[in-house]
Amino acid sequence: MATTTIFEKQEWDTLHKNGPFPLKRMYVTRLEGRASIPSSTDRYNDAAVEIQRIIKDCADQNEGFRAYGSRWSMSSIAHQKDNVHQNNLMNLDLNIFPQDLHALSSYNAGNLFFFECGNTIKEISQKLEEHGKSLKTTGASNGQTIAGCISTGVHGSALNVGSVQDYIVGLNIITGPSPADNVYLERHTKPGLTNAFAEKINAKVIRNDELFNAALVGLGSFGFIHGIVLEAEDLYLLKRYVRKINKNLAMKLSNTMDFKNSEFKIAGETDSQGNPLTPYHFKVFINPYTDDSEYVVEAMYKKPYQLPYPDPFTTIEKSIYKDLIYLLISISEKFPNSIPWFIKRLEKSVLPNVNEETIGTLYETFWDAAYQGPAFAMSIGVDHSDSEKALNILTKMTKKDGPIPGIFAMRFVKQSEATLAFTKFPITCMIEIDGIIWSGSNKLISMEEYSTRMLEVLKNNNIPFTIHWGKISDWAFPDLATHMFGNKVEQWKALRGSLLSKKMQQVFSNKFLDTLKLSDIQEDSDPDLIASLL
Amino acid sequence: MQLTSKFLLRSIILTFVFFTMISCYSVRIVSTKGSPMPPLEMEGDDWYRDKMVVEIDTVLKAGTLTDDVIFRVLRDGCETGKLFSVEYKNTFSGSMKYIFSFGSKRKVKLKYVCMKPSN
Repeated sequence: MATTTIFEKQEWDTLHKNGPFPLKRMYVTRLEGRASIPSSTDRYNDAAVEIQRIIKDCADQNEGFRAYGSRWSMSSIAHQKDNVHQNNLMNLDLNIFPQDLHALSSYNAGNLFFFECGNTIKEISQKLEEHGKSLKTTGASNGQTIAGCISTGVHGSALNVGSVQDYIVGLNIITGPSPADNVYLERHTKPGLTNAFAEKINAKVIRNDELFNAALVGLGSFGFIHGIVLEAEDLYLLKRYVRKINKNLAMKLSNTMDFKNSEFKIAGETDSQGNPLTPYHFKVFINPYTDDSEYVVEAMYKKPYQLPYPDPFTTIEKSIYKDLIYLLISISEKFPNSIPWFIKRLEKSVLPNVNEETIGTLYETFWDAAYQGPAFAMSIGVDHSDSEKALNILTKMTKKDGPIPGIFAMRFVKQSEATLAFTKFPITCMIEIDGIIWSGSNKLISMEEYSTRMLEVLKNNNIPFTIHWGKISDWAFPDLATHMFGNKVEQWKALRGSLLSKKMQQVFSNKFLDTLKLSDIQEDSDPDLIASLL
Repeated sequence: MQLTSKFLLRSIILTFVFFTMISCYSVRIVSTKGSPMPPLEMEGDDWYRDKMVVEIDTVLKAGTLTDDVIFRVLRDGCETGKLFSVEYKNTFSGSMKYIFSFGSKRKVKLKYVCMKPSN
């Protein structure tokens, strides 16, 4: 039997120390050993029973319950004031065989893989590599668990792929304490696995596009995501280039995504007519405090996997003294005008080296991001055609109301089908500000004030936007969810209210949801909304 | 005269502090495969914040004929028995101890992280 250790707690924090947040109990579940239960499927089902037992305990005490993986989110999305569950030791994977493929499935069985919620991107990538496969995209690093990634919309800058949730084929969700509260969701227009497979994991199948898309970026509120089926692809290499290009060219590419007719040409990355290829990944780095005529950009092109290739890992990695960073922040809080000078000095440590070229697998390219002290990240999604306008507005505001100890970047992501995906535009430009947590002073704008100002200036300039669910923002900004997603908010809430009982809607809510007005109990659930359509 | 002595004393202290600081450094070797074992509690504020770390901080009494010393990775804190990273820290006091004891006292400061079980 899987075992759970309960820790009585007073508070809980994220990896990047964006809390602390109050907490009563933390649960950590460990699977039964292989020696006692040799079958992976049996161990998986055994873990499901254990999770349902914990959910029952929480519900019986009229308390909330929320799962988290690696605590990488900087917002309070993973926090619940009563009970949280650390699931990163639940990292089984189940085999999928050709006979498990649904008769109407368009997937190649060899590309489908089943992973338990606590597998990290790094673990999944390594397991896929053993099969000659790779994920289609990841975030900029690899420590997040798969359930955490999809629940919060983790993305890279894969122009034609999308975010992590966009290659998910099926979701196994525990929706309550009873044996029947175990569902396996898929799209009815794109079925993946057979009913027999779902029966093996004791789950009821629901094939329904709208329900699947709502639960996909479910903000941890559609139940306990126990496992996922994902579509991988053959292993490939990414050739990575870092260049400094004219600022206007970088902005034109961001606004149009028209690489083919641009002047951004890298030797060897052209088609047979000599026109530039559209990269797999494109990222622009911006120091808002300099008027450089050039921006550093990073472009990656997909290549077939073939050996040998040079080891992409650098042998030696040096890091700056953290105490030095803290000292700079303390100075900045007293003398804000020193921030641009500090950022300029730290550019070499923050930005990639210009003219750097590497080649490696996705796993090797987006590798470990070591913890480097308390950090903040704010991330706003806009239609890529608004990227230059939005960037100018935000940098202008930053210079006027700031400065702040952070640096800007832009990444670009294909549209997601998930109902509340912040990558909702045909191509979403994610404008990101990364930096070190700072405190406001009478001379320096606070992080909270700054995040409010970001939303205000975008709204005042009529630029439609979204916010990364896992990053820092003013989540209490008036009618924020509706402003970002319109009537999709009501659709999402109705689907959640139909899948979960009223009691479970309460159990799987938290303050983050309350703040966004996403947690109100749906009194009238509609069984048609969650009907299996195939 | 008094001013010169004070200056001299300060200089000696500063030099001592400087050499103490620069003679304290760590080197870490990290695997590019496998995943580190996550901690139950995130308490640290360094590279190990999201890793379960085992620390060895001891002084070994070695015989004059002792060449190398082996530490075994024990089950406590390392259920897989496989290493993800090892850090060795050299300190000024450790170096002094070694020199003035003619090698019979060896300060050992090690940190290691094991691999997460793959289930």
